[in-house]
Amino acid sequence: MSHPKRAEVFTRDTERTTWHDETLWFVRQKRDKAVYAVPEFQELRELASQIKTHTLSRLADYLEQFEAQAKANGVHVHWAANAEEHNAIVLDIIRQEKASSIVKSKSMLTEECHLNPYLLRHGVEIVDTDLGERIVQLRQESPSHLVLPAIHLKKEDVGATFFKHLGTAEGEVDPQVLTEAARQHLRARFLTAEVAISGVNFAIAETGSIVVCTNEGNADLAVNLARVHIASMGIEKLIPRLSDLSVFTRLLARSATGQPATTYTSHFSRPAAGKELHIILVDNGRTQQLGRPDFRASLKCIRCGACMNTCPVYRRSGGHSYDFTVPGPIGAILSPNIDMRQHASLPFASTLCGSCTDVCPVKIDIHTQLYKWRQVIAAADEIPASKKWSMRLLSRVLARPGMYELGGKFARVGLRFVPHALTHAPGYNPWAIARELPEPPPQSFREWFKQTNPKP
Amino acid sequence: MTATARERILAATRANHFEENPLPTVPQFTGDASVERFTEVLQSIGGQIVRIPVGQPLAEVVQQLFPAAGPVASPLLPATITIDEQTPTAVLDTVDVAVLGGIFGVAENGCIWLPEANMLHRALPLITQHLVLVLSQQNIVATMHQAYALVTDVGDYGMFIAGPSKTADIEQSLVIGAHGARSLTVLLTA
Repeated sequence: MSHPKRAEVFTRDTERTTWHDETLWFVRQKRDKAVYAVPEFQELRELASQIKTHTLSRLADYLEQFEAQAKANGVHVHWAANAEEHNAIVLDIIRQEKASSIVKSKSMLTEECHLNPYLLRHGVEIVDTDLGERIVQLRQESPSHLVLPAIHLKKEDVGATFFKHLGTAEGEVDPQVLTEAARQHLRARFLTAEVAISGVNFAIAETGSIVVCTNEGNADLAVNLARVHIASMGIEKLIPRLSDLSVFTRLLARSATGQPATTYTSHFSRPAAGKELHIILVDNGRTQQLGRPDFRASLKCIRCGACMNTCPVYRRSGGHSYDFTVPGPIGAILSPNIDMRQHASLPFASTLCGSCTDVCPVKIDIHTQLYKWRQVIAAADEIPASKKWSMRLLSRVLARPGMYELGGKFARVGLRFVPHALTHAPGYNPWAIARELPEPPPQSFREWFKQTNPKP
Repeated sequence: MTATARERILAATRANHFEENPLPTVPQFTGDASVERFTEVLQSIGGQIVRIPVGQPLAEVVQQLFPAAGPVASPLLPATITIDEQTPTAVLDTVDVAVLGGIFGVAENGCIWLPEANMLHRALPLITQHLVLVLSQQNIVATMHQAYALVTDVGDYGMFIAGPSKTADIEQSLVIGAHGARSLTVLLTA
């Protein structure tokens, strides 16, 4: 199913669509307020971009440096070329530990690898501990946003889910009460977990450390109680120096939610005595993206979600309409690299207004890449026939001034007589489903110009 | 299997290296490092701040702040529960108040650096119901640039803490006390 078809499902509920739109715009405004309070914010964006570009240009060297440092710190380092290898490594560690209680904090990479369903098929159940992720997990859904996983839901939805699964009172919708219920429910899991899985926000090559940023504290609580900590990271999470964190920690939370910093910014270098830290370095298409000069800058992404909050299409179509782990503008430039045919409609889910590029804290040229993916997709003949043929016809008309003039004349006259039901038939004019054609003008601009500026 | 994955990934990465872009030098952007700024930001993110008059014992301050406290863990005052690296999870879970020493604070975002050496147990700052961090008002820096200039070595484990645990995952309504400490109080000493 294409993005427009899935978006149509979301937009059927007008009230909810409006709420979704306004709520995310509010987050964007909070971001602006936080950003404008930092005079050097634009310089920080440029520095972050340069640090990431530099790292990507020498990524193999930094990966080797990181691995050597981490191993020297007593960390187990694993490499996974794809999702299957990643999942197999996780399962292997869980089995070696003979663990039956496993918790996971927020990690888009494990979503990308579909770790939960894989482990379930092998008889292992994971409990997601980020509140938003736990909500969508209980509902058997996927996150609809990078940092606000349950933003597509209303408190009534969450209340109904918690009534069913956590035993809260029927009709209870107070976020305070619901959050407290989740706290109690999840604390019991934290206390018994033998293995804790987390994502990674940044990995520091010079020290072999990983950094995890959360607001809820679920990651730190989980990994510091369990005997085994598994941290899954994409290979693009590397930064060269510890001091580079000064740039990224100033950008991340401000761009994401408008907070000056995440509540917890934790640095893990060495496991506690008697415990284990495993880091899994995952490729899963990243080296391929690195080999695409037009698109490799997408690997600079720090997963803040700012491009989603600002995107007029994302705000009105919802994260699930993208049907990809990472939704929104950044997802629309990452997904074709994974499967161009399946995600062919995503680069078109944009107005190319460029707002995503303007807010991106690491200066990814998102809207330019959206445009470039469209060329690639069209060249590979992966666009719908209606779009393909109408564009071909249009380009022929636009290339011939005489034909263009004639076409305009026909349209101006014809539109007065052709019945509305025909001009607006959704079957062949999807553009008119939610739009009205303007009243045809009596004359064209060229006719008007000739008339008002007669040749001397 | 993983050994070959390593080689495959490194080879594919190296094959796609591009013209080297220089690693920039990050300027030491500075700013307001005042106690007032730090206080204002900390309060805006849900933390509270209490200035300790010279000579007043910490234990007394904590007693006043948490008159009905359950077990209090701390290396800084006479604790009512002993916590160390070996403390079992079930015991950690009973801690009501943890009073720990922060190294320095960051005025721009309310972060306080807490290294593992000051935590008693890595999970204590999270699992305690209420967290109290003691901080000297001499030790406040302006921005994260100054912060990482001080933290040249993060040690085995260390964290910046900015306020109490929080979430807005239900309809963007801010709720304090998600999974970590329900409150954060900073005791500012001279």
